[in-house]
Amino acid sequence: MKPKTVDRAEAARQKAFTTQALQRNVNVGAPPRSGAFQEKCRSQPTQFRKFYERGDFPIALEFDTKGNKIAWKVEIEKLDYHHYLPLFFEGLAETEHPYEFFARQGVHDMLEHGGSKILPVIPQLIIPIKNALNTRNQKVCCTVLKALQHLVVSADMIGEALVPYYRQILPILNAFINKNENLGDGIDYSQQKRENLGDLIHETLNAFEIHGGEDAFINIKYMVPTYESCMLQ
Amino acid sequence: LNMAAAAADGAATAATCVRPKAWSEQVEDAYRFQLAGYRDAQEYRSVRGSDPERWNGSGFIKKLERRDGSFYYFNKVRECADKEVQQCKLYH
Repeated sequence: MKPKTVDRAEAARQKAFTTQALQRNVNVGAPPRSGAFQEKCRSQPTQFRKFYERGDFPIALEFDTKGNKIAWKVEIEKLDYHHYLPLFFEGLAETEHPYEFFARQGVHDMLEHGGSKILPVIPQLIIPIKNALNTRNQKVCCTVLKALQHLVVSADMIGEALVPYYRQILPILNAFINKNENLGDGIDYSQQKRENLGDLIHETLNAFEIHGGEDAFINIKYMVPTYESCMLQ
Repeated sequence: LNMAAAAADGAATAATCVRPKAWSEQVEDAYRFQLAGYRDAQEYRSVRGSDPERWNGSGFIKKLERRDGSFYYFNKVRECADKEVQQCKLYH
């Protein structure tokens, strides 16, 4: 039987921060990757997917529509926003069709017609928004940022209501604020389609500052130090 | 006689159908009705018995009830893209 060959480099590699590592001619190897920018897959399906498959949402699921519309079985004005809006925001973390389509359109319709019903639900939306952004998936982050921009303009005082939650949702924006591809003199079509993450983050932070009141800028600056104000001081 | 009967009947078939070349508010209304499965405002009124809800600022249609009882909601701004203008039908 042949003896098991051992990689010499592997054998020579010592653990860092040990007494052996301080000796001469000892290789501790490269530090392990932290995975800060790596996409994180969800370990279990979202509540949105479970409810959708059970048929608990008041939306018609057939695909006989010509446009990008969902048909609501119940009028949006009669829906319980405390129950449904956080579920739809949780569905923004989905990447597969038709879940991501229904979540995106559902959030859009509910924000468009919610009025004063949206403000009391804001605290319940923060965890779904944070979880969706923490997936670090480019498409999901773009969808969530567009939803956030719609959220702050959907009704009065929502921008101000979001300010205490900046420390929960802005750290991931700080990580990706510089995610702009250097194409040289090429044309970046993702900018036109609003899929360029860096620019979208800037747009969202601008919207937060404009609608967040007096304390918004300083709170954004605390979490995203490279952000510059878009309003005249 | 035929024309008088047609005018009296609220859900009468239209005499002419035209495809628009350019967008207008009338085209936007027709687009929204046809997405929901109706021909125009006249047919919607005859099926549903009331006018559709409209947005305050722009005057575009806000909400339509489909024939199966579900609801379609529309934006305050224009939704009919230029490439879909030619697919709309204007009935007279």
